[in-house]
Amino acid sequence: MQENYLAKWLNDELTEEELLEFKKSDEYASYNKIKEATKHLKAPKFDVEKAYEDFKNASLTKETKVIALNPFKGFIRVAAAIAILLTGSYFFINSLDQSYTTQNAEITEVVLPDNSEIILNADSKITFNEKKWNEKRNVTLDGEAFFKVAKGEKFTVATDAGTIAVLGTQFNVENRDGFFEVTCYEGLVSVSYKNTERKLPAGTSFIVINGEIMDDTVLKNGQPSWVNNESSFKSIPLKYVFAELERQFNVKVKTENVDIEQLFTGTFSNTAIKIALESISTPSKISYTLEGDNVLFYVKNTP
Amino acid sequence: MSNVCEEQIFSSVFKANSKTVFNYIYYKFGNEEKANDAVQEAFVKLWENCAKVSPEKAKAYIYTVANNLYLNVIKAEKVRLKYADIHSKSTSNESPEFILEEKEFKDKLDNALNDLPDNQRTTFLLNRIDGKKYAEIAKMEGVSVKAIEKRMHLALKSLREKIDGI
Repeated sequence: MQENYLAKWLNDELTEEELLEFKKSDEYASYNKIKEATKHLKAPKFDVEKAYEDFKNASLTKETKVIALNPFKGFIRVAAAIAILLTGSYFFINSLDQSYTTQNAEITEVVLPDNSEIILNADSKITFNEKKWNEKRNVTLDGEAFFKVAKGEKFTVATDAGTIAVLGTQFNVENRDGFFEVTCYEGLVSVSYKNTERKLPAGTSFIVINGEIMDDTVLKNGQPSWVNNESSFKSIPLKYVFAELERQFNVKVKTENVDIEQLFTGTFSNTAIKIALESISTPSKISYTLEGDNVLFYVKNTP
Repeated sequence: MSNVCEEQIFSSVFKANSKTVFNYIYYKFGNEEKANDAVQEAFVKLWENCAKVSPEKAKAYIYTVANNLYLNVIKAEKVRLKYADIHSKSTSNESPEFILEEKEFKDKLDNALNDLPDNQRTTFLLNRIDGKKYAEIAKMEGVSVKAIEKRMHLALKSLREKIDGI
């Protein structure tokens, strides 16, 4: 008997011999009964005309609906696009770093999410990620800032000269061209500079001038003088003193015959320029003129 | 070139196929409401895409749409079929035993049909009730004629076994 012979039989495709053989089988009677019975089966009533009317009505109303809904659909599309853009940019902006910048003659105080404080000296910039602050206390500094770090996880200050890591303390970081200084006022600060790592206990400074490492001491539990509107120097080349003067008073410093590598120790006021200029010029035995925003330091020719 | 978007052609496609679509879905799921919905849905889709579907493809298209509509969504309910009342005139000639036996057989057949796998039942009933040729059903289902023959064979075999109590 060929494959699927029951299907062939229903379709009258069996050969005569096959049909004879099949008819002789015991099951034939049952199969035939099923064949006859299923001939008279009926599916539920289905009214084609009514279905077509339904279809025409439905597709007609659907068409008017589509027209009515179309502007709204467009609106939803635009609204959805805007919503996606907004949420997208919200998360994007949120993921961006927060930054604070000071101009010359400007000091600003920044409170971090964990209540750590940063006082930013003139012409400086700090950057940090507020959203990820709880995971990572990480600040990037360009310029000078005084940090009062709340106790907690490791707090890192990254500068292009070196990295400072602390747990909770007060310290000052200054990172200017060729000048890198970290001063610890409270607690313990770890400074990585190039390949060296230095632990700074309270009251010590780590200074790098033109690649040369120096150590210094300051008052414990103090604050950098600039926080109190004074700039202090201890054996620092004049050029850095002038640079600080430029930043604090937003002036332009020029020199004539002045040895800018000469070391300077002293303090100048960040509020009164005349006093500041006197404070610098007198101990250095140089003269100055002030015209508008221009300062000229020069050495009098003493024959 | 004729286009399904022309109402005359569309209407003829509708009238020629809507009942089969209805039965097709009904045999599959045993739900009249769903079957009616499937007819509407399939032809709405065809109407929306009339420009893309040629009249020759229209038939296959609507069965595909109808079939996909309830794919994995609904569970088959009991398929209830009626019998054409061919005995009504000769009722007096039949003994009560015969009538009872007939009724019993019909119940058994009914149950056996419902026990068939969906695709076997659908194929079997499309052939037996709608008189669809195997080739036609093969096109509707998107399978080979041989596969349809196999389904027919297996369907008939399990119906017989169920009814004879094997």
